[in-house]
Amino acid sequence: MVYKEVQCPSCKEIIPVSGVPGEIKKISCPRCNKVGKVTFANTVPLQDDAIMVSGLRKEYGDLVAVNDISFTVRRGEVFAFLGPNGAGKTTTVEMIESIRKPTSGTIKLLGNDIRSSFDKVKERIGILPQEFHSFERLTVIETLQYFSILFQKKADIEDILDAMDLQHVRNKLYKELSGGLKQRVGVAISLVNDPDIVFLDEPTTGLDPKARREVWEVIKTLKAKGKTVFLTTHYMEEAEFLADHIAIIHKGKIIAEGTLEDLIQTFGHGSILHLRRCNNKQIGNILKEEGFNIMNQQNGNISISIDYTDKILDILSILRHEAIEYQSIDIHRPNLEEIFLHLTGAKLQGDNT
Amino acid sequence: MNLRFIAHDFKANLKQWGRSKGTVFWTILFPILLILIFGSIYSDTGDVRYSLCIQDLDDSTHSQSFLGILQNVSLLEIKELDSDVNITEYIQEHDISTALRIPLGFGSKIDQSFINQDTTAEIIYYFDPSQQTTTSIVQTILSSILQEYNLAVTGGRTVVVLSDSATVSEDFEFIDFFIPGMIGFTIMTSCIYGSIERNTKYRKDGILRKMLTMPVSRTEWIFAKMLFMLFLSFLSTAVILSFGFFVWGLSIHLNIFIFIIIIATSFLFSGIGMIIGRFVKEEETADMAGGAITFPMMFLAGTFFPLEQMPGYLQSIAQILPLYYVNESLRNAMIFNNLDKTLFFTGAVILFACVFFIIGAVVTKWKED
Repeated sequence: MVYKEVQCPSCKEIIPVSGVPGEIKKISCPRCNKVGKVTFANTVPLQDDAIMVSGLRKEYGDLVAVNDISFTVRRGEVFAFLGPNGAGKTTTVEMIESIRKPTSGTIKLLGNDIRSSFDKVKERIGILPQEFHSFERLTVIETLQYFSILFQKKADIEDILDAMDLQHVRNKLYKELSGGLKQRVGVAISLVNDPDIVFLDEPTTGLDPKARREVWEVIKTLKAKGKTVFLTTHYMEEAEFLADHIAIIHKGKIIAEGTLEDLIQTFGHGSILHLRRCNNKQIGNILKEEGFNIMNQQNGNISISIDYTDKILDILSILRHEAIEYQSIDIHRPNLEEIFLHLTGAKLQGDNT
Repeated sequence: MNLRFIAHDFKANLKQWGRSKGTVFWTILFPILLILIFGSIYSDTGDVRYSLCIQDLDDSTHSQSFLGILQNVSLLEIKELDSDVNITEYIQEHDISTALRIPLGFGSKIDQSFINQDTTAEIIYYFDPSQQTTTSIVQTILSSILQEYNLAVTGGRTVVVLSDSATVSEDFEFIDFFIPGMIGFTIMTSCIYGSIERNTKYRKDGILRKMLTMPVSRTEWIFAKMLFMLFLSFLSTAVILSFGFFVWGLSIHLNIFIFIIIIATSFLFSGIGMIIGRFVKEEETADMAGGAITFPMMFLAGTFFPLEQMPGYLQSIAQILPLYYVNESLRNAMIFNNLDKTLFFTGAVILFACVFFIIGAVVTKWKED
């Protein structure tokens, strides 16, 4: 028996339900009486690989866009492929989706080598391409029906509309939807065949924070349904919030891979201390001379990597000794942005993000 | 072949087309608007015939024979002037564009030319320079008749050709000429721009990439889209013909060639659109490229005006344009009812269609490099 909580799409009431894996259960909201269906995902053994990439390489003339990368995505997990623009994320995912031809390497989806069996796998994957826009003058429901007709295996479109919270716009034309809703429709399209693996290529790029959050909730729903999600993104918060497993790609190479915790443990080096608006611009040099690792320094703001918490007291005593004043101080665990900065010396995302 | 997808795609295309006011306008209303405008402008002109005043001062067997030939040319409306009329004054007073004088001694000079080959018989052509189009057309007609007349008289070839070469029937009106051109033009624009949209906008929007990862083949996709383009071509043809028939009393011959030409034309211009869409990747640039191809073709291929009204070099250019063959095949099939020419021009359209559509289908790629 599986227990879960679902949210009523109408009144947002949280409803506890139970069922067996694979069961589709009809429930009604105790508050507003809206009737809906809840799907209990088939449990899949996590040891099975959904995606296996080995020695993947893509060259364009002299340019190596993807440089012999290898990784594995397990069934049922959200795998974030994180990297800055131009790192090789989309080239990689499009090779996995068989849109681009690799120069060399092996790709297996659900145990099938895509070079020989991609047609077989097509029925079992769902894809949201980068910057995808559907047919402008079809309604949401017509769009889902259009794509659904192609597949042998079909998901219940009403269920998808419920899960993606699209019922209220089902008869609206695609062109009339907001950016966030369009992306939700894009994700919904990728679910019309009830796929085992869902590829989402930068699904939140260009969306405002609210719309981005909405898409994140959708991705969480996919995970709750037991789907394997391959997510490419350059937003570290997205990877931190959603991913079970993260691979960081930079200049065509995977530079770090693991769970968020693994990455922080391996590359995070303790904690980060931030000082804001120091009145002495020489603070960086002073701390450097004292043997501290300065991660970033700009306009009186400084980030210092510290291995042990007692180092904090050392820094504070230096500040007092040098009579340096500052506006605020905070200490936190390194995030992916700082790990990326540490590994590459470059920022993961632009200032506007 | 996934026929369910093809049927579903057709339905989806129909819905999208019907919901796009702009597309409906360009496919259906714009041609009607053009027919209305051009039909109104030229409806008063009646038959396409050019007036020509002739003054025969010679009145010999040869001049009468030549006059007889001119009278048989359906494009010319001959008015004979008395020999005592001052032809230049008459032209000015009666606002006449073209006149011809056969001088005294015309016949005897022709007879002399059999003895002395250097002897020439002169015919004087009077024209109003301000009416350049009409006068140049009449001049072209006269030159052509004279050439054949000379050949006949000197025994070079059989002459009596004017009635055969006068392909335009007596009751031919501008609207009869214009409607086939309008059909060709409408199919051309809807197919070229339709293909461009599919190949540039759908590529930019990721729809082609999406399709590549779905269980549908490129052939099924192209077939589905072509089915809809054929439907649009027949729909706009039916609307144009109905409008022409009910509003302008269009008189045409309906035959199987019209169907063949419309199908071939749809494939021909869809193929051109696919080629543009393949090599010009930006949506706006592709639209401009489409315009750069359709606009000159529209004006140079005899859509709105008879090709004969254009200068010789433009007529030569027209003969390398696919739309010229579409227009000529439709006119020969629908109006002139000339089987030989219909076969020739239809064959040319089918050939163009095969070449351009095959190239278009081959170069259209879903996969990225």
